[in-house]
Order: sequence, then structure tokens, then C-alpha cells
Amino acid sequence: MKEIFSRDIIKLKDIEGTINGICIKLKSDVNQVLRRKGGVIGVSGGIDSSVTLAIAVRAFGAENLLGIMLPEKDSSPDSKDFAELLTKKFGVKVIEENIGGALEGFQCYQRRDEAVSRVIPEFNPATDKMKIVIPEELIRKNLPPVFYVTVIFQDGSEKSVRLPMNEYLQIVASSNFKQRCRMSMLYYHAEALHYAVLGTPNKHEVEQGFFVKYGDGGADVMPIGNLYKTQVYEIARHLGVPDEIIERTPTTDTYSAEQTQEEFFYQMPFEDMDLLWYGWENGYTPEEVAPVMNLSTEAVLKIFKNFGRKKKTTDYLRRAPIHDYPC
Amino acid sequence: MKEKIRNFIAETTFVDSSTIKDETLIFDEGIFDSMGLLGLINFLESEFGVVTDDTELQEENFGSVERIAAFIDRKVAVAS
Repeated sequence: MKEIFSRDIIKLKDIEGTINGICIKLKSDVNQVLRRKGGVIGVSGGIDSSVTLAIAVRAFGAENLLGIMLPEKDSSPDSKDFAELLTKKFGVKVIEENIGGALEGFQCYQRRDEAVSRVIPEFNPATDKMKIVIPEELIRKNLPPVFYVTVIFQDGSEKSVRLPMNEYLQIVASSNFKQRCRMSMLYYHAEALHYAVLGTPNKHEVEQGFFVKYGDGGADVMPIGNLYKTQVYEIARHLGVPDEIIERTPTTDTYSAEQTQEEFFYQMPFEDMDLLWYGWENGYTPEEVAPVMNLSTEAVLKIFKNFGRKKKTTDYLRRAPIHDYPC
Repeated sequence: MKEKIRNFIAETTFVDSSTIKDETLIFDEGIFDSMGLLGLINFLESEFGVVTDDTELQEENFGSVERIAAFIDRKVAVAS
């Protein structure tokens, strides 16, 4: 019998049971399937990597984990403080690997800034900041998102321009060096220690394709990959993740200007998105969901269609290399 | 015009053009995503000289081959 749709429907009924279930499977996967003795985790000071680390401590013990901070010049300076706060709290050894040199080598910043300058010629990367956004007024038009680059000039003024395809692709492709450099460094340490890489994406990131293929999507296991963000926060509180981390607004920590995950990708508060995704995924009708969400049936239907489209168009990201060719 | 639009969509997405009817909802059906929309905006500009304003980025203008063709017609009429 299907539970009546409500705002509480995704709250964990047995939080200890859920955590223990994840820990048992995680330990079995890493030790028995992958034959590795522990794990490395990229710690950003964000909620997802914090919860992944907290769960992993319970599964493996702090002595079998290594936290790695992976800053570069666009990283928020707060990230390091939060990552240190977290690892100290859980007794996990943490090291810092600055990936800025590798990114310079790949010309990550140069390639990105070239593309930005083609659409906003007055952009000066040395003094101005940039980010990619989806303007709010375009969000609920039942079309896939179109991205804008916003430059925040030194004097605080801003300019936003819709990105043509080539410039958008170049900015994304060059920025993705960041996640891929982080992945390479995580695997270096994982292999040197005979550990596994513990990935940190949550359910939405995995299913909506909000990750970089072979970047933050490159990992051996993803312990929170089946948890809604609401549940990630519930577990964070239960396991004692520091309040400062829980209260931070989730950002992408990718571009020089701070950019929330909501403005870049999700387009709605995570509390709403969790419920709507749950409703969509579990076959609730827009008529059942709309009153609970304080939305019209038509609006819910549009959101459901958008979810379906997002999942379909991001299949490429979740697909492993195709190798079943004839011999 | 509709054939040009259909062929562009088919070439961009590797979908058989015969499956793209005038009224097929190209975004709802998952034929086109963000990249498709960006490419389509470029295509309308290069092929028909139609520049899309931000306010015109609506399903009513881009949702299907027939809607795109009607959008182009309106824009060309206004320009002339």
C-alpha cells in the first residue's frame, strides 16, 4: 500500500538502521569486492563529503581513511577551514594537495577565460570574478536550461550574457579539468595506500547528472549515492557533522564567483526538489503531489517532465565505456 | 523551412528525421537537451537571420518543428 504523499515522506524512519545498512555494504564492497583496506575522500568542507566521511569512519575506523583537501585558486578560502574542522572532529588524517599547478599546466583558467572574454570582452580575469547561472525567469518555461555567464567586476557591478554554444562548451570543458585533476590526485593516494576512492555524490547528483564524468563521478563507491539531500542532512546531524558545515549554503566551488548549486543546476530549493523527485520516481500523480507542494497540478507536471528529460539526457554521464564489440 | 529545421534536429541528434513529426515535442521526448537548444538558437541565426531574445525562450516558440517554423515566420514578418 502506497504511503500518502506528504512533506515527511522522505524523512528517514530508522536513521540508525539506514546508516548501519550503508556501513555494512560499504565495508563489504571495499574489503570483499574491491579488496582494498580503507578509503580516501576528497574533503571540500561541504555537506556531502562530510557525511561520506562520517559514514566511512563508522564503517572502517578513522585509521583506515585519508581526507584530502584539493584547493585551487578559485576555491573558497572557507573550504579548508571547514574540511579541517570536520577531519579533526572525526579524527581522520587530512592532507592538502593544491591542484593549481596542474590546472595551470592544462591551461584550465586560460581556456575558460578566453571563452568568457569572447562574450564579455571587458572581463579581466586578474581582477573580476565569473560564474555560470540559469536566470530565474527562464527556469519554469518547460525548456532545458540555457546558461548565462555573469561577470562581477572589481567595482561590484555585474554583467550577464547568454552563452552561445561554443563558449558554453569551452567554459564547461575547461572547468571540468578541476574535477578531473581532483580525481587523479585521489587515485594517486588511493593506489599508494591500497585504498579505494570513496565518491561523494548524493542521489540527485547521480541521477540528474550533476557531476563530471571521470571527475567527481570517478570513484570506486558512492556511499550516499542513494540518499536524498534531506536525508544527507538528517544523517549529518545524527552523526555529529559540525553545525558550521550543516548551515553552509551548498556551492559548486568551481568558478571564481560564488555560485550556489541551486542557481547553477537544480533550479529549486533542495527540500522541494527532494519531495518532487520522490513523487516522480515513485509514481505519485501531479494531483497527489501538487497540494502538498503548494503548486498547481500543471506546474508539477512540468517539473516531472523536466526530471524525465534530465535523467534521459544525462544517461551519457552514467554510462560506463561500451566495450561489447564483436571479436 | 520545416524540412530544414527537421534536418538540423536529425543531424544534431542522430535521430531518424522521419520520426520527427511537425508536432513532435522535441524537448519532452528527450530528443533535444540544453545543447540542442543552444545549437538551435545558433542555427536560427545563421540560417534564417533570426536573433532570439531571452524573453522568447519559451516552449511555445521552440517546442516542436511547427512551433519553431511559426516563430521564424513571426520574427521575419516583424523584421520586414
